[in-house]
Amino acid sequence: MTQKYSPRRHRPVVSALAAVVLAGGGAAFGSVATTAPPLRPITVNLQDKAALRNGALYTVHMCVACHSLQGVRYSSLPKVLGLSREQFLATIGTNGSHFHDTITSNMPPAMMEAYVKIAPPDLTVIAKRRSAAWLYTYLTSFYVDPSRPTGVNNTVRYNVAMPDVFAAMQGLQKPVMVEGLRFGSPAQVAVGVQPLTQGSMTQAQFDQTARDIVTFLYAVAHPHQQQRARLGPWILGLFLALSVLTYLIYRLYWRRVITSEERWWRVGR
Amino acid sequence: MNNSKPSKSSGVFGWFDQRLPISATWRSQVARYPAPKNFNLWYFFGSLAMLVLVMQLATGLFLAIHYQPNPHLAYWSVLRGIQRDSRWGWLIRDMHVVGASAFFLLVYLHMYRAVMYGSYKKPRELLWLVGIFIYLALAAEAFLGYLLPWGQMSYWGSAVVTNFVTALPVIGKPIATWMRGSFVVDLPTLNRFFVFHVFLMPMLLLALVLVHLIALHQVGSNNPDGVEIHDNVNETGWPRDGIPFHPYYTVKDLFGVSVFFVVFFWFVFYNPAGWGLLLDKLNYTPANILHTPADIHPLWFFLPFYAMLRGVPDKLYGIMAFGGSFVLLAFLPLLDRNPIRSIRYRSVLYKFNVLMMAASFLWLGWIAHGFATEHNMVYGLHVTEVFYATFLVLPFFNRQRSVRAKVLWLVIAEALVWLIDVWMYSINAHGWGLMLLTDWIPTLYLLVVFGGALAFPAMTRDAEKLPERLTAGGIFH
Repeated sequence: MTQKYSPRRHRPVVSALAAVVLAGGGAAFGSVATTAPPLRPITVNLQDKAALRNGALYTVHMCVACHSLQGVRYSSLPKVLGLSREQFLATIGTNGSHFHDTITSNMPPAMMEAYVKIAPPDLTVIAKRRSAAWLYTYLTSFYVDPSRPTGVNNTVRYNVAMPDVFAAMQGLQKPVMVEGLRFGSPAQVAVGVQPLTQGSMTQAQFDQTARDIVTFLYAVAHPHQQQRARLGPWILGLFLALSVLTYLIYRLYWRRVITSEERWWRVGR
Repeated sequence: MNNSKPSKSSGVFGWFDQRLPISATWRSQVARYPAPKNFNLWYFFGSLAMLVLVMQLATGLFLAIHYQPNPHLAYWSVLRGIQRDSRWGWLIRDMHVVGASAFFLLVYLHMYRAVMYGSYKKPRELLWLVGIFIYLALAAEAFLGYLLPWGQMSYWGSAVVTNFVTALPVIGKPIATWMRGSFVVDLPTLNRFFVFHVFLMPMLLLALVLVHLIALHQVGSNNPDGVEIHDNVNETGWPRDGIPFHPYYTVKDLFGVSVFFVVFFWFVFYNPAGWGLLLDKLNYTPANILHTPADIHPLWFFLPFYAMLRGVPDKLYGIMAFGGSFVLLAFLPLLDRNPIRSIRYRSVLYKFNVLMMAASFLWLGWIAHGFATEHNMVYGLHVTEVFYATFLVLPFFNRQRSVRAKVLWLVIAEALVWLIDVWMYSINAHGWGLMLLTDWIPTLYLLVVFGGALAFPAMTRDAEKLPERLTAGGIFH
């Protein structure tokens, strides 16, 4: 029996994932020590229609060149942005898609795989999975890295496949490197960026643009946020009131049991 | 039940009542069904679990109407079709997601109630056993349903679990392929999981719950004092400590339902993902057969079993380790044969043991929540030993033990724990350095139980006088 368990052969058998983890592969998921750069704080204000519209403009005309938002239909946007259908079509438009279509990139995913080795992830998916602060940091933290095929890397997404599409707006950036850990091994880790060249926007203008994009992505990834906030207190209030009411009814009914019996009965002791 | 008595009702209801025992069943099973007066907080969870079952069936119906069991369509049929395109779809879906976790929480509390008050003892052994089968059916139902959104964790979780059977030599792989209908989790797997989730398992669950209720009404409810109320009846045969289920417990349960819904809807409206515990963040990413996530783990309610599985460095033995915990649960009436039902009248060390049963289970969940490092695997193994021990030491408490018996129990139990480590070392699974870090957990636990019994015999003594009637009542008693 024991020969079957020869040295160190079994650990990976526990599950497929154990093998991946112990080999040190895979993405960092918290527990495999990797020095994480601080995320840039952002407050998402879903009432800020100007930010939402600006974000929608950049998303639909820039991001959607490669990414899709399969979860979102163009027809759902006017309400989010506080525009009429006509205003929406006149200002932002649908990239030639039908108004009721989902926001789908015209770039075939297979072609993107040929270009950058990976199909661009759907932005509804990413915006739901990642926090607003992560998205904001990601968008503003591309830095020059000659070792990469695209010439750039990213502080929060190491070895990112996406090229720095913001270079013209933001200018190029250089990394702030520190001695840290990557997948448990000592390494130079980028924890921030510094401007290298000047783009068409000032840093403040670009940061604002990035925040607008994040606000828009957050809004479409959490479409029922406001409905939840509006309805929640009423439903909770209803059941809180019902709790009080049913408790009183319970006491009313049980009074009969309590008084007709011997002294031992002590409700709510 | 008095079925021979003709119905006194007239009119339309009477017509039905003479042909179907409606009022007779209502009388015998609800309005004149005697329940002990002293049910406390722990007695809310059974009826709440039934409520959640009904809620899951109702929300599941609407989800099934809009869901597409096809790998190309499944993900977006949930994320767009149900959550966005269907009116109130997001609410129905979140209720179903939170409902699944609520179901497990309520069932765990319900089971622990039974453990505390000895509700598995004679004459309720079958009631307990049916309950274990309900739990197993619920676990299967949750596992099958988890694949349907076709997210990354759905997919890889199902891949890992459907691979369990490959632990069997020779026939394992063909069986796994037959079960999946494919060599990997794919369209045939999704189709059958969908059918099992919406049709087969709900039917089984409903049938088992019905049997559970019938078995309950055959023997009557236990209570926090463990006193058999039917042993003390008045001239008319009504238990002196009993009250009719309706209206007393119906109004009380309505209060429980209201409070439950406050918590439930707080999650639904404000925290449907439950800090990533009720809905894994990774499941927001569509399934990708070419990309295995670095960490595949189940939702919170299966985490303790996951810790048992990965604590053992072999697939087959790991599966036996977590499967064995269900066997222990099923065998509980045979392990604990002490005539005293309620924990209230059991010894101090028995109380400690029952506390550790829950604590080690939660502890295992906490360990499995961490990354699958070698340390966490060993750590999980040692806490698994404690969880197993909390069941296996139960026969020790069946009666007063001699000093020699106590020493024997201590030596044998400690030896077993350490032999497992020797075995681990002998198969080169783990080194001593790592194992010694957490070895103190089972060692200390057994030392407290048996060493405590040796040093302080009073701590193994159950209450000498048991009450003949219920002692006191109230929600928080």
